[in-house]
Amino acid sequence: MFLHRKLFVIIGCLILLGFISCAQEHTNSSYRVVSLSPAMTEMLFSLGAGDKIVGVTTYCDFPPQARKIRKVGDFSNPSIERIVALKPDLVIVNLPEQKRIKSELDKLEIKTFISSPKSLQDIYKELAAIGDTLGLRRRADSVINYMKQNIQTVRTSDRKSVYVEISPKPLITIGAATFLNDLINAAGGTNIFEDLEKDYPVVGQETVIRRNPEIIILLHPEDASGRTGWQNIQAIKNDRVFKNLNPDHLMRPGPRLVDGFRELKRIIND
Amino acid sequence: MTKTIAIIIIFLIAIALGILVGPTRLDSEILQLRLSRVVLGIFAGGILAFCGCLLQGLFGNPLVEPYTLGSASGAALGASLGIFLFGAISPILAFLGSLGVGFFVYTIARIEGGLLRDRLILAGVVMSFLCSSLVMIIMVLGGRELYEILYLLMGYLGIIINATNRVMIIALIAISIGLVAFLYRYHRELDIISQGTETAAGLGIDIQKFSLVVFFSSALLVGLTVSIVGAIGFVGLIIPHVSKLLFGPKHIRNLGASFLLGATFLLFADTLSRVITVYELPVGVVTSLVGVPFFIYLYKR
Repeated sequence: MFLHRKLFVIIGCLILLGFISCAQEHTNSSYRVVSLSPAMTEMLFSLGAGDKIVGVTTYCDFPPQARKIRKVGDFSNPSIERIVALKPDLVIVNLPEQKRIKSELDKLEIKTFISSPKSLQDIYKELAAIGDTLGLRRRADSVINYMKQNIQTVRTSDRKSVYVEISPKPLITIGAATFLNDLINAAGGTNIFEDLEKDYPVVGQETVIRRNPEIIILLHPEDASGRTGWQNIQAIKNDRVFKNLNPDHLMRPGPRLVDGFRELKRIIND
Repeated sequence: MTKTIAIIIIFLIAIALGILVGPTRLDSEILQLRLSRVVLGIFAGGILAFCGCLLQGLFGNPLVEPYTLGSASGAALGASLGIFLFGAISPILAFLGSLGVGFFVYTIARIEGGLLRDRLILAGVVMSFLCSSLVMIIMVLGGRELYEILYLLMGYLGIIINATNRVMIIALIAISIGLVAFLYRYHRELDIISQGTETAAGLGIDIQKFSLVVFFSSALLVGLTVSIVGAIGFVGLIIPHVSKLLFGPKHIRNLGASFLLGATFLLFADTLSRVITVYELPVGVVTSLVGVPFFIYLYKR
């Protein structure tokens, strides 16, 4: 009899445990997220929420597990039908690039999370916000702390002028409203196009030559040597042109910016 | 005579402005940049207008030009394909695109003993549409090359000239000059043909062969131009009309005047594109923006 009661309690506990674990799993993985932002895909994985992602873009290539997730199109042309078919609870969209898809999702009353970081502070805010949304605020805070601790402003009196080239045809650089601009500042440099308000402005060769940067960072495979009219730029004369940086460490808002920042710091203060 | 002197003076002014005006003070490095930009401007503007004049004369139709015949769009398609596949504009692909579309248009418009002129334009415009949608597909597939293709479609003279493309650009310009000189010799035949094909045939001109030579040489010229500075619109259509207004129908003066006026016009447009904003505008945007009011003024006067 006594034994029976004990068995009952044990079985009861097991059943209860089963329910609890089921319930926990319920909140964890039945929440379905489609991420249309490669950076946000990365951030979600860093928060340990990779298993919630049911759809990504073809650009979402990091971490490697992200490649196995179902694709809903590329960054600029995701397919609304494929997104809807995945029955997401939340879709992460990039603005302004995905404005069209956002308004279609709004019409279908699918919840969206907007990502459009223009500064380092914005990245921290977005991390915190996505943490709140997914109930992972504590994880988010620890990622934010990791980033803040590793991206600390270098104190220097000798600020180097930096020109970042994203594309050579036409020349596309970065303006003030970018987190890369913040990153360069923090690493002890100054972006020569900090006065431009547009985030990724097209500029002329003349302006680059006139602003005479001390360091040139190329985020594309083409060379900067041998360009007509560029030969007297300080960076070219002193051989301070860098082109082997990983653009994903500098252009994607997320924890990997720490690696990008370390490289920038090394280049700028060398 | 005074008109000739006038357009030469305006041409020189355009060159001077192209060198002196810009977002920054002039020094030796900036001078190199602006000089190469001016050379590209003369080359592209001159050739596009020259081809327009040639084709309008050949087909006796005021709407004919590299764009309406589809060869500019074909070249743009070839060049975009080059950007997509090899990450760089390939002059050979641009030329093949231009030539391929030219060939299609020609075959569609050809009948026994000549070309149907109305059908030529229709075929050209239809092929342009086809090329545009193919370019769009490339833009959607490519994504990251989008800006480069966008600037290619609108035309841009501020390209970077470096060790890898310098020789190629010089060679292409040399070939183009050769072609222009070769085509210029046909001004008399053009005069006769633009009077009417029967007269021309009566005078013993082999119209089929002549059209073929002119048509494909101009496709080649357009292909070369597009592969360097992109597809600049408007110049090829309007400048020959301006030249005709000033110099009458004779091609010996018209072809030369078109070349000079086209170069002048593109230089002015490029100078403007450099100074109206802090950002660099594609020159093709400015050509129609400035050209259309000017054209309306000229015709309404």
